[in-house]
Amino acid sequence: MSVLAVSNLAKRYHRGGKPFAAVDDVSFEIGPAETLALAGPSGSGKSTIARLVLRLIEPDAGRIDFEDSDFLALSGAALRARRARIQMVFQDPLAAFNPRATVARVLDDPLRIHGIASRAERPRRIAALLERVGLDAGLAAHAIHEISGGQRQRVAIARAIATRPSLIVLDEAVSALDVSVRGQILELLLDLQRRERIAYLFISHDLGVIRAVAHRVIILDAGRIAESGDARAVVTNPQSAIGKALVAATPKLIRNRP
Amino acid sequence: MSRLRRFFGTPEAIAGAAILALLIVMALAAPLLFPGDPQAIAGPALLPPFQDWSLPLGTDRLGRDVLAELFHGARTSLAVGLAAAAAALLIGAVVGTLAGFAGGLIDEVLMRITDAFQTVPSFLLALAFVSIVGPSLGVVVAAIALGAWTGPARVARAEVLSIRERDYVAGARVIGMHPLEIAFHEVLPNALPPVLALSSVIVAAAILTEAALSFLGLGDPNRVTWGGMIAEGRTVLRTAPFLSVVPGIALVLTVLGVYLAGEGVVESTAVRRSLS
Repeated sequence: MSVLAVSNLAKRYHRGGKPFAAVDDVSFEIGPAETLALAGPSGSGKSTIARLVLRLIEPDAGRIDFEDSDFLALSGAALRARRARIQMVFQDPLAAFNPRATVARVLDDPLRIHGIASRAERPRRIAALLERVGLDAGLAAHAIHEISGGQRQRVAIARAIATRPSLIVLDEAVSALDVSVRGQILELLLDLQRRERIAYLFISHDLGVIRAVAHRVIILDAGRIAESGDARAVVTNPQSAIGKALVAATPKLIRNRP
Repeated sequence: MSRLRRFFGTPEAIAGAAILALLIVMALAAPLLFPGDPQAIAGPALLPPFQDWSLPLGTDRLGRDVLAELFHGARTSLAVGLAAAAAALLIGAVVGTLAGFAGGLIDEVLMRITDAFQTVPSFLLALAFVSIVGPSLGVVVAAIALGAWTGPARVARAEVLSIRERDYVAGARVIGMHPLEIAFHEVLPNALPPVLALSSVIVAAAILTEAALSFLGLGDPNRVTWGGMIAEGRTVLRTAPFLSVVPGIALVLTVLGVYLAGEGVVESTAVRRSLS
C-alpha cells in the first residue's frame, strides 16, 4: 500500500523548436508517513515532477496513482475535491500567497472550499491551525506581507495541513529561509509527520537537509533517475557521478585541524 | 496619507482635482441653484452675457437661461462620462481576465471579438447604436461603452497572462479552488491597477463622445447637454457666438481636468509600485 505511486512519468518541452525531456521515465513510490527526497542540480526535473504529481501540469506519458486510485483519470469537480488530500508548500513564501490576502483568508479558503468547517466555526479552526504550526492566533488579522518569511512559511504549512492531506509536496520549502528558521521549520515538519502520518515528497538541492529529514532519496539528472536508495547511504556514499558531484558541492565545516 | 500628499505634489494634479471638484459641485448644486426645468423659457431670446444679472450668461435662441443649462449640462456630462467609463472598464476587465486566464479557444474567440470591435471606429459604432435603439441616457452610456471596452480588455489580458503563472495561482489550484473563483478573486484584483490607469482617458473620451452625439442631435432630448448647447448655438454663431463658446469652454476644461487628475493618480501610484 502506498500513498503515491508514479510510474514511467514523462514530460517533454520544446525549447527553440527542439523537443527536450524535462522528465523522462521516472518511477517511484511513497509510503504513508514516509519522506522521499528528490535531489538534483537545477534543471534536472525536480520541480517539474512536483507539478506533475500535483496535476498543475499534465504528463505526456506515465501513470500517477494517489491513494491507490488513478489520479490522472480525475478532472473537474472530482479532481478539485481530491486535491484536499495532496497539498504543496512552495519555495518562496511571499510569492505563494495572493499579495492582497490576510493570514485568515489564506487559511479560510481551503476550509471553505472543502466544506471542512462551517462559517461560524472557521475562525476557531484557523486559530487552531496557527497554533498547530507554532504561531500566535492573533496573527490571523495580519496581511501576508506584514509577517516575516519564517512566519509565512509556517502559514503555508498551516494551509497545507488544513485539509488533512496524506501527502505534502515540499518544493524547496526551506531553501529560501535563513539557517536558524530552517531548523525550526524542519522540526515542525517532522513533528507533523509523526503525529498526523503525513508523507512528504521533499524536493531540495541541499543534501545536508535531505540527510536530516528524508528516509529515501532519488537523485535526478536531466530528467532521469541517476540513483536512489536510503537517504543516509546515498549521501554518505553516492554511486552516480551526479550524486558525487552534489555531495562534493555541499559546504562542510572544516574539520581536519592539524 | 502619504499617497494623498504625493498626489497633490504636482501642480497638474492639483489643477485637475480643482477643476473636477468645481464640476462636481456644479453638478450637485444644479437642482438647488436652478430649480425647475432648465429647458423652460426664462427671459427674452438671445440676451448677451453680463447684461441682466438675473441671467448672467444671457439666454439662447429660445430665451433659456444659459447658466442654468450649463449647470444642468454638467450633470449629464459627468453622469454619462463616469457611467460609460465604469461600464467599459467592467466589461473590459471581465473579458480580458477570461481570455487571459482560460487561454486556448476561449482566448482566441474573445480576442477576435475584441479585434472586431477595435477595427470599427468607436464613434461610428456609438452613432449607429443610438440611431437604431433610440436616444436615451442609458442607450448613450451603452453606446459609448461599446466602443471603449477593448482597451481595458487588452491591458487586463496582458496583465492576467503574467499573473496566472505566479505561485499563488498554482497555490489556489492546489487547495482546489474553482477556476472562476481563481480568475475573479485571485487574479483579477491584482490585474486591475494598470487597467484603472486607463480610466481617465476613457472618461475624457466618453464625455467628448457624448457631446458629439448630442451635437448631432442623438443625445437624450429631455436632458440639457453641452453638446446639444453647442449645436443649438451653431445656427446663430455669427450673432451670438457665446452660445457655442461657453459650453465649449466647459467641455474643454472638463476633459482637461479629468485627464490631469487621472495622470496625477497614475503618477502617484506608479511611484508606489516602483518603490515596492
